Amino acid sequence: MSKKVKVKRVGFAIDMTPLVDITFLLLTFFMFTATFKTQAESEQKFVVQRPATTPSDTSKLPDRDLATIKIAIDTTTFDTVYYYEVVNETDRMKVWQNTQGIPEEMLSKAQLQVSKEVLNELVKNTRLVNSTTLFAIDADKRLRFEYINDAMDILRKNRATVFSYVTDKQQ
Amino acid sequence: MAGGGQLGGGSKPKRGKSNRKQTKRQGFHLDMTPLVDITFLLLTFFMFTTTMAAPQVLDMTIPPEIDVEVEVRESELLSIYVRDDNKIFWAKGSEDPQSIVLKDIQALSERENLDPAVRNKLIVALKVSKDASYGLIVQILDKLNLAEGKITEEIMKELDENGEPKKRERRFTIAILTDEEIEKLQGV
Repeated sequence: MSKKVKVKRVGFAIDMTPLVDITFLLLTFFMFTATFKTQAESEQKFVVQRPATTPSDTSKLPDRDLATIKIAIDTTTFDTVYYYEVVNETDRMKVWQNTQGIPEEMLSKAQLQVSKEVLNELVKNTRLVNSTTLFAIDADKRLRFEYINDAMDILRKNRATVFSYVTDKQQ
Repeated sequence: MAGGGQLGGGSKPKRGKSNRKQTKRQGFHLDMTPLVDITFLLLTFFMFTTTMAAPQVLDMTIPPEIDVEVEVRESELLSIYVRDDNKIFWAKGSEDPQSIVLKDIQALSERENLDPAVRNKLIVALKVSKDASYGLIVQILDKLNLAEGKITEEIMKELDENGEPKKRERRFTIAILTDEEIEKLQGV
């Protein structure tokens, strides 16, 4: 007689429907809230540690007609470097072409590394090309105020007296 | 064989018989594993690449010319100094500077701006050393902005001649420390 060894097969049937439901919900949420880097941000090799301010709902960085003066600390040489970026592409092309002191190969870039004199020219040309451009200063919090004051002087000389500092939310 | 759809077998056709009624029963078993795989991949991609909020800004308005001398009454001036070692001081008018900590700046601004003698007329001047840290300056500006909320609320409780609530007139300026101010702060 053969001994019948009974192997108890226990069946698990998990219904995956709610799992897939929630996953798709999360996916669509993130699809709608994802923002992609601007051309300037993707060319940027440095990171600016922004100063922190208390969170407020009222002030957000505008996403068009914006020109940003970035003051960053170079990661290798620890020098302070000025960068200039114009978001609007048509304005940017005109400003880049009208300004001397910009080498040929940089004309297609969204963001330029500049000296203070060239920065002054760029701000002046930006105001001429589009007088509604808003300015922002995006500077590293570790910098000495002198550099930011120089950037503010350039804006003041070109009569852009209303501008913004870009900051991070304070945790 | 793992995965893959499989058609349930149809019934075998009967051979050689005249009645070829084939009731083909076809059952569909669609395996959803790759669907869920890709969905999770997309989800994690978006989770990593999304940025939740646009960067915040602190709005600034600066006077067009700073070299012009402006007549200011001592009693209507509150100066906040930041020295090169990032220590903060304040002085009312031409009094001696006293030291102050960052978290007390908001209370200072509220108290001095709502002082009955100079309500809505006080000029706040932030004088900064060239070597002071920019991050600290932004935090001071932030505290001063926070104080504006309460100040504006108090000012608007009063009515002006037309019976309308008074408007807040904020007078603020930011500039680099002059040499004499640096001298004055040496000893504090």
